[in-house]
Amino acid sequence: MTDIAKKESLPAGGRSRSRIGRSVFWLIPILLLPVPLFLDQYRQYVVNLILVYVPVGIGFNIVVGNLGLLAFSNVAFFGIGAYTSGVLALKLGLPWWATVLPAGIMGALAGSAASVPALRGVRLFYLAIMTLAFGELLRWVYIRWVPVTGGSFGMAVPKPSVFGLPLLTEGHKFYAFLFLVVLMVILTNRLLRSRFGRAFMAIKSNEQAAAAMGIPTDRYILLAFAWGGFVVGIGGSMYAALVGHVTPIAFDLTELILEFAIIMVGGLGSLVGSVLGAIVITSAPEFFRNWLGFQELLFGVLIVVVILFLPRGLASLLARLHPIFVDRYYRD
Amino acid sequence: MRPRASPVLRPAGFDPHGAGPVLALFPQLVVSGIATGMLYALIALSMTVGYRATTVVNFGHGDMVMAGAYAVFVLLGSGMPFLPAMVLALALLFAFGVLTQRVFMQPIIAGPHLSLAIMALSIGYAVRGGARLEWGSEVTTLTRPYPQDAFMVGSVVFTTDDLVISGVVLGLLLALFVVFHLTPIGRLIQAIFQSQRGAALVGINVHAFHGMMWGAGAALGAAGGVLLALIVPLSPDMGVWTLLRGFAAMTLGGFGSLHGAVIGGLLLGIMEKLLGFYVSTVFIDITAYLVTILVLLIRPSGLFGRQASIRV
Repeated sequence: MTDIAKKESLPAGGRSRSRIGRSVFWLIPILLLPVPLFLDQYRQYVVNLILVYVPVGIGFNIVVGNLGLLAFSNVAFFGIGAYTSGVLALKLGLPWWATVLPAGIMGALAGSAASVPALRGVRLFYLAIMTLAFGELLRWVYIRWVPVTGGSFGMAVPKPSVFGLPLLTEGHKFYAFLFLVVLMVILTNRLLRSRFGRAFMAIKSNEQAAAAMGIPTDRYILLAFAWGGFVVGIGGSMYAALVGHVTPIAFDLTELILEFAIIMVGGLGSLVGSVLGAIVITSAPEFFRNWLGFQELLFGVLIVVVILFLPRGLASLLARLHPIFVDRYYRD
Repeated sequence: MRPRASPVLRPAGFDPHGAGPVLALFPQLVVSGIATGMLYALIALSMTVGYRATTVVNFGHGDMVMAGAYAVFVLLGSGMPFLPAMVLALALLFAFGVLTQRVFMQPIIAGPHLSLAIMALSIGYAVRGGARLEWGSEVTTLTRPYPQDAFMVGSVVFTTDDLVISGVVLGLLLALFVVFHLTPIGRLIQAIFQSQRGAALVGINVHAFHGMMWGAGAALGAAGGVLLALIVPLSPDMGVWTLLRGFAAMTLGGFGSLHGAVIGGLLLGIMEKLLGFYVSTVFIDITAYLVTILVLLIRPSGLFGRQASIRV
């Protein structure tokens, strides 16, 4: 979808030509507008699910791909976003649109909390283990905090509405989701192309060198986690609106491999990659959803193959087609 | 993963919340904590073996544990007696460990940590998905190859489960101690852990060694899985459950330390029981997560480990 995000590689034509090239990305959301006219409710649901996973992939990719930290806590941010949206709608009677921003903010707060060990100097697999434990602890909270979360059975989220207009069909939700996704992609693109994105790149390639050059690495790490958590939290509130039912089982470790598959298959550290990954990975299991365990097997094998044979994911294939798809803010 | 009952080794008829002075139960809690802790120690140790040899943490290790248990289950189903089935299962898992290291990890070993971690994780997920596809919807258990019994020593109840698990783990620990400290293999491991390049320079075949140790870790983990399967039902998710507890034990003891892993595992088992009884039963489930998080925040090197964090 709207990958304004992609970089141009500023060759011969110079900046003005690449701008024109990039404006092509604006056509994507416009071309998507009539999509609900052609799809039945189920197909539209799958498309909406893809839209939900675009911000989830984007947020995950910022921390893992762009910043290069092994943080496994993305599912936790996703769950917090979904639960925030659900609890505010169910207990306080807020309409869905009013819960989107709080869901993002809660995601950002959780992201900041998850960055604390990273700021304390915990790195590599230590960080991975710790964020894994954090995610499992949180899932345990969803199950045990029955008065708020509804326990193992979860909670039914009221029908979403935007400014008093109820989103009755999947097609209606599509437009609300498309708006949010376009917004997230534009903002993340801006962030990554600014000095923030360049600082992430510097931290990824050599943190000590970045610090020695005067880059306040801890601030940028905090920012990357918080922004990642924000985007993923908004994805969570979209998920609550789409599925209408928030349960702890949706945020278990199977979800983790799904989100890893999105960024690995799409392309680490690439905004186009996150979008591509969400499209490919989210639609695939819909065809096999009835086979218990098939998702895990499929995604596991898929990631292994991608790491061995296509380390930069589908985005690198796209980059070969045209220079406007080349990542400017990612270095190996 | 669904929350599961932790493998509480409590003999039938024993009621921890029954009458009697609460403190009198202390020795009992410690004893059953040690039995559980022995399992954690074995899992943590098997992870440490692979980690020390390759300096790569195997995030799919839990699924090797699970695969070991299911391998014994399948072999028993084909009519094999327990001991040969277990030996064969460990050999299979050893081969599987060597294979994954050589085929999947070795080609990217020079790459970023991220790829290595995700590669191991993904292999684990694939194994787990395969197990769930085959056995996901049925409840399966291993039958104990020994009679289930309990007896009192003083006021403390011991079960045969406690004794068998502790005995097997102690035997394996002893064997590992001998291998690591009294044989040339132990010196090889130490050399490679300290400097892979240095070890390669003096003529050690580091690649072959990595595969062997990865396999050894898988086989040890599988032994832990078989022991665990004696006391809880088999499930594809048992691997992750043990992985997180193994990590907690390793973190507590200090990453990369062999005796740290054992002591960390024992402490974790005892803490789960004591906190679960004296504070709140919820701690049985979350002690491992809290330990992991708190230790890494407060003292990342654990009890016996080396400096684990960087400061910029």
